[in-house]
Amino acid sequence: MHRLTNGRGRGALITGGAVAAALLLAACGGGSNSGSGNGSDPDLGSGPAKAGTVKADALKGTTLSFVSYGGIYQDGQMKAAMEPFGKESGAKILQDGPTDNSKIKAQVSAGNVTWDVIDTTNIFAGMQCGKLFMELDTSIVDTSKIPAGLVTDKCSVPAMSYGLVIVYNTEKYGANPPTSWADFFDTAKFPGKRGIQGATGDVDQGVLEGALLADGVAPDKVYPIDTNRALKKLSSIKKDLVFWTTGAQAQQYLESKQVDMELLWTGRAYSAVKNGAPYKPMWNQWMPLADHLVVPKGAKNPKAAMAAINYYLGAEQQAKLTELTSYSPINTDAKPNQDDLARSYLTTTSERQKDMFKVDNKWWSENHDAMVTAFTNWLNG
Amino acid sequence: MAVIDALTQSTRPGVGAGRAAPSERWGRLALLAPSIILLIGVFVVPLAIMLVRTFTDPHPGLENLTWYLGDATQRRVLVRTFTTAAKVTAVCLLLGYPYAYAMVAAGPKLRAVLTLLVLVPFWTSLMVRTFAWVILLQDNGPIQRALAGIGLDNLHLIRSNVGVIIGMSQILLPFLVMPLYAVMSTIDRRLVLASSSLGARPITSFFRVWLPLSLPGIGAGSLMVFISSLGFYVTPALLGSPSDALVSQQIYTQVSGLLQWGRAGAMGLVLLVATFAILAVLMLSIRRAARRQTRQAEDATS
Repeated sequence: MHRLTNGRGRGALITGGAVAAALLLAACGGGSNSGSGNGSDPDLGSGPAKAGTVKADALKGTTLSFVSYGGIYQDGQMKAAMEPFGKESGAKILQDGPTDNSKIKAQVSAGNVTWDVIDTTNIFAGMQCGKLFMELDTSIVDTSKIPAGLVTDKCSVPAMSYGLVIVYNTEKYGANPPTSWADFFDTAKFPGKRGIQGATGDVDQGVLEGALLADGVAPDKVYPIDTNRALKKLSSIKKDLVFWTTGAQAQQYLESKQVDMELLWTGRAYSAVKNGAPYKPMWNQWMPLADHLVVPKGAKNPKAAMAAINYYLGAEQQAKLTELTSYSPINTDAKPNQDDLARSYLTTTSERQKDMFKVDNKWWSENHDAMVTAFTNWLNG
Repeated sequence: MAVIDALTQSTRPGVGAGRAAPSERWGRLALLAPSIILLIGVFVVPLAIMLVRTFTDPHPGLENLTWYLGDATQRRVLVRTFTTAAKVTAVCLLLGYPYAYAMVAAGPKLRAVLTLLVLVPFWTSLMVRTFAWVILLQDNGPIQRALAGIGLDNLHLIRSNVGVIIGMSQILLPFLVMPLYAVMSTIDRRLVLASSSLGARPITSFFRVWLPLSLPGIGAGSLMVFISSLGFYVTPALLGSPSDALVSQQIYTQVSGLLQWGRAGAMGLVLLVATFAILAVLMLSIRRAARRQTRQAEDATS
């Protein structure tokens, strides 16, 4: 083979190498000047912001990238809010995903932010407010129609609302269903497998709280969480626990009847039941959760990003989002058109508000990393 | 692939050795230049950044390494990762060795079929194969039901280390079969005939002639499987329980869940160093075995 490298061939190869090197350098350095077309100070019109609206053609020539968790959720967000926003404002909307917190950190710390509007967890939004995320300008984002208590920090607004709820197999426990967190942990009275979240690198708020409630802690004494006590309670049923790592897996456990009770996201529970899985939610002390929308620091066009968020919060957009995804709307005027089953899974109704256990997001923002570490160690203990 | 070269060349001194003329050496370097530049850009530089971060993020010093080596859970996971890799390698060897032998012994038509049977799964996406295993292994799944039929109830085939080993072995099997087949097909089978004509029973011929000659293939294939196993992420995440997590999942937790990149760097560094150490020990012992073999062969002929 080496006979092929006569003088001419060698020259070509060296040139090839140099071209490859140049391309690599270009790829590394080129990102920084790929921003939006026009300036970062668009004219969004005068007067106070109104959720669900944007000044026509105010963002012509601007490019925004919207990042979320994929699946029917992101499709719904695009159809209900981001695509109509692009049409009205003239902005070009790109999408990317799934949201990866380490990519946000990498972009912000490298000063090369290519994501403009990001859907992330409420806890991460709270933890990184002022660090990775910028405060939202309330003259652009109208938060007046967001249900009370759902705005938890200055850098984010909810993207939708859902919850962590226990569902049980009606074929198995139909006559005598579980009614409390204590029943979820009572494997003598309710024998059978329990599914809970055991995702790599994360723990939802709710799992540890539920263990404490089952152990007899009064709801107003749950915070600060006594990690040892909560994990000890979880250990007491560890041999009956089955862990799910993704929402899809949690849903699949129900549809293939791998578990008799499961603690999972309301949207996934609804999808499984709609597909015929014989389960019913136990709403007593369910835990509200939410994804939040943020704008990363160093975003090329923060005002345009916030205008998109403001549009996303509109009543019509939220109604459509709920119809497409089954997640609950975060605009009090939203009137989604749903069937009875879907409506029964909404978490923002007054009935659900009465049953819920209020998660302390502020405490979680301060203790998230310690909880993830403790939970990971417990899982692998 | 360097591993295979090193291992196979050590037993075939005629190939690739010998000093090249200077112009030829430059020619070879030029051939390598594009890939070297690419490797420097996308592998060496990021690795260096990771190394620097290990010792500087969030503070300069050894805190990330001392955290990693001092944490009981992390140590348990590291040991579990290496034992899982060893078990996967053993399963692959047990299945792959007879298979490779069958490929060598078979006629051309059967060999084509056998090769295809190895390659078709190899060309199928890893995700697809892993999800297929999820369906096959799950509780109430076909395998569980069949086993329950013969009285083997309550086996935990999924969400356990067993499931991870089954899935990883199937995915990595081609990496053992192909190098084994490559080496076995170069073995002169008349040597086995010669040994039996000298009175060796089949089992003696196998252990004294065939097995030693196939050693380079075993070494190359096992190393490929073992080292690939150490970094597996998707398969253990889907087939295993989070209580049986491997190092890659713990690294993900640090990178994405906790944004502790210094710690993740330390974990990667320890994994890398441990892997190189094992690699070095194995290479040395295989080379020594091969050298001994050549010497014996030379003694026999002289």
